[in-house]
Amino acid sequence: MVRVDNRLVHGQILEGWLPALRISSIIVVNDDVASDLFRESVIKMAVPSDIDVSVYSVSDFVQSYGNGDHAGQRAIVLFKEIDDVLLAYRSGFHYEKVNIGNVHDDDGICCVSPATVLDRSDVKRLRELIAHGVVVEVQSVPRDKPVNFKEIADDLE
Amino acid sequence: MIGVLVITHGNLARELINVAQFIKGDISDVTPISVDATKSVESVKKEMIAAIKKADNGKGVMILTDLFGGTPSNISLSFLKKNKVEVVTGVNLPMLLKMCELRGKNSLAECAEKIKEYGKKNIYLASEVLARKAGT
Repeated sequence: MVRVDNRLVHGQILEGWLPALRISSIIVVNDDVASDLFRESVIKMAVPSDIDVSVYSVSDFVQSYGNGDHAGQRAIVLFKEIDDVLLAYRSGFHYEKVNIGNVHDDDGICCVSPATVLDRSDVKRLRELIAHGVVVEVQSVPRDKPVNFKEIADDLE
Repeated sequence: MIGVLVITHGNLARELINVAQFIKGDISDVTPISVDATKSVESVKKEMIAAIKKADNGKGVMILTDLFGGTPSNISLSFLKKNKVEVVTGVNLPMLLKMCELRGKNSLAECAEKIKEYGKKNIYLASEVLARKAGT
């Protein structure tokens, strides 16, 4: 699963998505965390020890994800921002579906849910992904009903 | 006196403080911060910066959070600073009450160690306690 969540690794991931999708590996793709050993350690401490955690900067991830390091794992690839997940796509990391969780933009124009508020730029980015054939689904936790963003995007101006 | 912040998901912090006040009488300078789905990480950080500043009387600030790995705790950890700001996770009522008791007479580091132990110690398995009593 590829997910965008401003909060990166937190309760909803650990208690919701990990068991629902039987995830064995969390891949955090974020420049700030990749350069901050403390934050990386905190994430690793919070995750059960039988789950793999790897942290990459965006550029390192797009260069190395094809290496096979994560072959055979049921992984969740976590981005903090929509612009990073789009950058990854443009750089060659192609995915069929992206899950949008907690995203809170200032100057939000599109409130898909209390947890997902998008500004003009993010709406544009998601539209670009949709144009590439990516399914964009807004869903905070597994028990929420997923919302296909294309339907909302079509209704916006 | 050490400043105290309680930051949790939803209104847990507010309610813990309300109950502590009910039990102990007036508790001054214990500030709740609530994290819910509608708040952005940035807005919570701003709230915390302001609250830490307000709570700091030169004796340090203790931040109590509900769940290690949860957003309240993750954000709090970014403020960690030796002898200035400490974070203890898994806040429960005994821990909060003990913190209110100790905050005027202990250093930040001493409080942290004591309330961590106290919070843990006050988790009892009732049938185990009874069995021990019956055994003696």
